[in-house]
Amino acid sequence: MISVDDRLKEIGEFIPQPDDDMLVCRCEEVSKGEIRKAVHAGMFTIEEIRRFLRCGMGLCQGQTCSRLVKSIVARELKVSPAELEPAVSRAPMRPMEMEVLGRDGGDR
Amino acid sequence: MKRYDLIVIGAGPAGLSAAIEAAKCGMKPVVFDENARPGGQLFKQIHKFFGSKEHKAKIRGFKIGEDLLKEAEEYGVEVVLNATVIGLYPEKEITVRIGDIVKHFKGDYILIATGASENMVTFKGWTKPGVIGAGAAQTMMNLHHVMPGERVLMLGTGNVGLVVSYQLLQAGCEVAALVDAAPRIGGYGVHAAKVARCGVPFYLSHTIVEAEGEEAVSGVTIAQVDEKFQFIPGTEKHFDVDTICVAVGLSPMSQLLKQAGCQMADLPGGYVPVCDEFGKTSIDGIYAAGDVSGIEEASSAMIEGRISGVVIAADAGYLSEDEKQQKCDELEKALGGLRQGMFAPKNRGKKLETTEEGIRLSESLLTKGYIADDEISRYPGFVKKAGVHPVMECTQNIPCNPCQDACPKGCISIGENITSLPVVVADKECIGCGMCVASCSGQAIFLVDETYEEGYASITMPYEFLPLPEKGDVGTALDRSGKEICQAQVVDVRSTKAFDHTNLLTIKVPKDMADKARFYRR
Amino acid sequence: MKKTAEVIIIGGGVNGCAAAYYLAKRGVKDVIVLEASESIGHGGSSRNGGGVRQSGRDPRELPYAMYAVQNMWPTLSEELGVDVEYKQAGNLRLGKTQAHMEKLARLAENARKAGVDVRMIDGKEVKEICPYLSDDIIGASWCPTDGHANPMLTTLAYFKRAVELGVSFVKKAPVKAIKKVKGRARKVITVDGTVFEGETIILAAGYESREIARTVGIDIPMTRYFEEALVTEMQPPMFEQMLGTADADFYGHQTVHGSFVFGSESGLEEAADMEPADLRTSALTMSAGCRAIIGYIPALKDAKIVRSWGGWLDMCIDEVPVISPVEEVPGLILACAFTGHGFGTAPSVGLMLSQMVVGEETVVDIHSLRYDRFKADR
Repeated sequence: MISVDDRLKEIGEFIPQPDDDMLVCRCEEVSKGEIRKAVHAGMFTIEEIRRFLRCGMGLCQGQTCSRLVKSIVARELKVSPAELEPAVSRAPMRPMEMEVLGRDGGDR
Repeated sequence: MKRYDLIVIGAGPAGLSAAIEAAKCGMKPVVFDENARPGGQLFKQIHKFFGSKEHKAKIRGFKIGEDLLKEAEEYGVEVVLNATVIGLYPEKEITVRIGDIVKHFKGDYILIATGASENMVTFKGWTKPGVIGAGAAQTMMNLHHVMPGERVLMLGTGNVGLVVSYQLLQAGCEVAALVDAAPRIGGYGVHAAKVARCGVPFYLSHTIVEAEGEEAVSGVTIAQVDEKFQFIPGTEKHFDVDTICVAVGLSPMSQLLKQAGCQMADLPGGYVPVCDEFGKTSIDGIYAAGDVSGIEEASSAMIEGRISGVVIAADAGYLSEDEKQQKCDELEKALGGLRQGMFAPKNRGKKLETTEEGIRLSESLLTKGYIADDEISRYPGFVKKAGVHPVMECTQNIPCNPCQDACPKGCISIGENITSLPVVVADKECIGCGMCVASCSGQAIFLVDETYEEGYASITMPYEFLPLPEKGDVGTALDRSGKEICQAQVVDVRSTKAFDHTNLLTIKVPKDMADKARFYRR
Repeated sequence: MKKTAEVIIIGGGVNGCAAAYYLAKRGVKDVIVLEASESIGHGGSSRNGGGVRQSGRDPRELPYAMYAVQNMWPTLSEELGVDVEYKQAGNLRLGKTQAHMEKLARLAENARKAGVDVRMIDGKEVKEICPYLSDDIIGASWCPTDGHANPMLTTLAYFKRAVELGVSFVKKAPVKAIKKVKGRARKVITVDGTVFEGETIILAAGYESREIARTVGIDIPMTRYFEEALVTEMQPPMFEQMLGTADADFYGHQTVHGSFVFGSESGLEEAADMEPADLRTSALTMSAGCRAIIGYIPALKDAKIVRSWGGWLDMCIDEVPVISPVEEVPGLILACAFTGHGFGTAPSVGLMLSQMVVGEETVVDIHSLRYDRFKADR
C-alpha cells in the first residue's frame, strides 16, 4: 500500500533546481522541472507521469527518454529506478500509417 | 493463417544463429527484420572480434555477418527484410508490416532477438543537432560512408565509446577527447590504448556541462565530478567540436516481450524478460536471445542464439535429449569461456586491483588510456632480448587467444585458461613474420628489434589508417600516450591477405626509444 | 497511514476522484480514497475516448449529463488549476446509408424530446462543419453543445486538487470486502487484511464494484466488455468536433495536443474471455479501427498510429449506471456500472455523490438510477 500523503511528507517540498528547464522528452517537450513537480503533486508512477505530462508518448514512443524520466522520478521519490515499473509496451511497436495498418488482409 | 514452426524476430547475430541452429535440426524457421539488410549491428563492426577460434576471434564483425548470412542461406533459413513486427499477441501470433500491408503469422515457437538501443544522457544543450549516439556515428561512417563531424568529443569509455572513437579517427575525424563520469575506463584497456596512442586525451571523472552552439553544436564544456557525480567548480574545460558522440550504454529493446505479457525484470543490464539459461521466457514457446535478454558482446549473442535454437528444436521433437545435451554442453562451454575474465558479467561494478596472475593493474591505463612507462615491465608479454621479438602489451584478463595460434614458431603462450595474459616462450625463436601483430584484435602486439641497426631499434606495429605510409617516409614516433618523442623512418610496410587489413608498419627509431615508440605520425 | 475517515471512497477513477474533490471543496476533507492499482485512473478513466456527450444518451442519464455540460465543464480547468482540454465544438454522428440516417433520426428525436439540441443535417452541411470527411457521408445528427476533454488529465487533475485540499489517497489498496458494524456499512477491508473505517462508503470501483457490493448482499447486474482505442502522432489542427457513426464502428476526436484519439472495435469483443487484469490488445482491432476511420476521414490515411490500448467497460444490464444510496445497507453509496458513458458525466456525478454524503438533495433527480430498479423482464 502506498499512502500518498505519507509519501509526499517523506519526499519533502519541491525545491527548484538550476536545470529544471532542461528538456527531457524532446518529442513532447517536457522539462525536468515539470516531471519533478508532478511527483510532488502525488504522481508517483511512470503511468501517472506519462498521462499527466505526455512524456514518452511522442513519435519515438519513449525510446529516448523513458530511462531518463524514470531516473528523475526515482531520485525525487528517493528510490532506485529499478523499483519503478516502466511504461506499458503498446502496439504498434513502430509508428505506422493508418492506411497500412488497415490493410491487414495479408495471410488471414 | 500461415504458421511457422519457428518465428525469429531480428536478423542480428542472435536471431540468425538461432534460426541456423534450428534449421540444422530440420526446422523451417523464418526470420523477420525491420531493416533493409540483415546482420543487425554486425555490419557496422569493422574491428576484429575477441575470443578464441570457436568464437570467430580475430575476424572482423562484418565478415562474421557475411559468414552468418551464408550459413543461413545454406540451411534454408527464410529471412524476410523490411518486415516490421507490429505486435506479439496471444497464441503466439504476430502482425508484421511487409511492404504496404500487414500480415498475420503464428509460430509454434517465437524467438525474440530484437537487440538493444542506445541510451541518452541529458546535459544543457543535449537536444542540439550535433549530439548523436555513438552507434549512429558508426552507422554513418561504416554503412553510409559519411563522416559524422570534423571534430568530435566522445562521452563514454565503454567498449562502444572506445571502438567508435578509434573508427572516427580511422574515418579521418579528429577526436578531441574521451570523457567519462566514472573514475575508471569501462572498456578493454587495449581498445583505450589504441586511441590514446593516437594522441587523444581521456578525462575520467568528468562529464559534460554544456553543449554550446546557436543552431548546432559548436563546442562543449566538460568539468570534473566528485564521488556523488556533482560538478567541481573551477575544473571546466572547453573544446571546440561540431559533434558530441554519446556512448553511455545500451538498453534491451524488450518491448515486444513485455507487450506479449512475459514476466520482466529490471536488472542493472536493463529491462529484460525473465529467462532460464536457454532463453525460455515465462510464456511457453516464447524465447529471447542476445542483447534483448541482457547486454553483452555480439560473440555471446551468437552462442546464446545457437543455444536457444537447439533447445527449441529439441522441444519441438527435432533432436533427441542426448543430442540436445551434447550440443548444449559444447555451446555452454564456449559461452562460459566468453564470460570469463575481468570484464565478465560477474565482475561488473567491481573494482579489481590485480590480474588473475596477481599483477597489479595499470592505473594509468584505467584512467588515462595508456600504460605508463614505469608500469609496462610488470607484464609477462613485455620482454627485452636481442633480435626481433614480440612485445605484448596485453595487461588485462580478456577471453582472447588468437596470438597463441598465430605464431608459427610457438613463441607465444596463453595456455588452457583463455583469459591468461600471453607470455613469450623463452626458448622459441621469433622470425619476425608479424602474424601475431596482425592477429591481435586489441592491436597490442609489437615486434621490437633493439639490434636493428647501430644505435637504432625497429618497431613493427599494427597500422589501420589510410593512406598507408611508404617505405622511406620520415615522420614522428609517438609514445603510448600519443606524445611525440622522436623522428621515425618507415623501413617496411607489409600488407598481406593473412593480415586481413591490419597493415604492419615498421619504423626505425633511436635505440633508447624502443620501449616507448608505439605509433607513427606522418 | 490514516485508516479512519468520515468518508471512504473505493476506487481512484475519475468518479471517485471527482467525488473526493467535491467533498473536500464543501469542507468534508476527512476522506480516504482507496485505489486498487498503483496508479490513479488506471482503469476506464484513462482509457476512454474523452467524449463529453449529451447526444446518444439514455433519457435517464440526460439531466446530469446536461448539468455537467452547462454548469461544470466550461469552468473545470480554471477550477482545478489544470487544463483538462475541454472543447465544446459539437458532435457529428455520421451516416452513409439510408438505414444509418433512419437510425440517427430516431436517436435525434429521442434527444430532442429530452431537451437536447440535436438535429439532422445533410451531407453538404456535414462538409461545411468538417471539410475533412468522406464524400460518402450522406448526413449526420448534429449536437452543437457536445464536446470532449482529456480523460487522463481530468482524472489526475481531480486527484491533484483533492490531494491539495487534504484528501488522503492510498494506492495499491485493492478492496476485498465491506463489513457492516451495528447495521451500518463501516469497515472496508483490503486484500491484505488492512481495515479502513468510515461513516460513509462510496463504492466507485468499476466492474470490480460487483464483487465488493456482494459482500454486503447487494448485486448489480453488470458484465464487462473490452474495448480498444488508438492514437495518432501529432497532426496539424484540423477540426474540433467529436465524431461518431451510426454503425458505432469508431468514435473519436482531435485532441488539443494534435493527436487523434479513436475508439474502435473488431466485432469480436463479445467473446473476449480474458481476466480483468489482462489489458492486452487484440491482433485484429487496431487494423479494423483504421479501416473504419479512413472510411470516414480519408485525410488521415497517412497519419501514423503510435499507440493502442484497451480497457474494460462495466456494462449495466439496462445500460445506465447505478448511482444511489443503499438504504438496506445504511452508509453505502454506489456509483458504478457506467457502461462506457462515465467520463463525460464525472463532474456532476462527483458533485451528486458529495451531496448524497451530506444528505443534501442532488442537483438533478436521479432516482431512475437506483440500485433496486432491476426487475424481471418477462
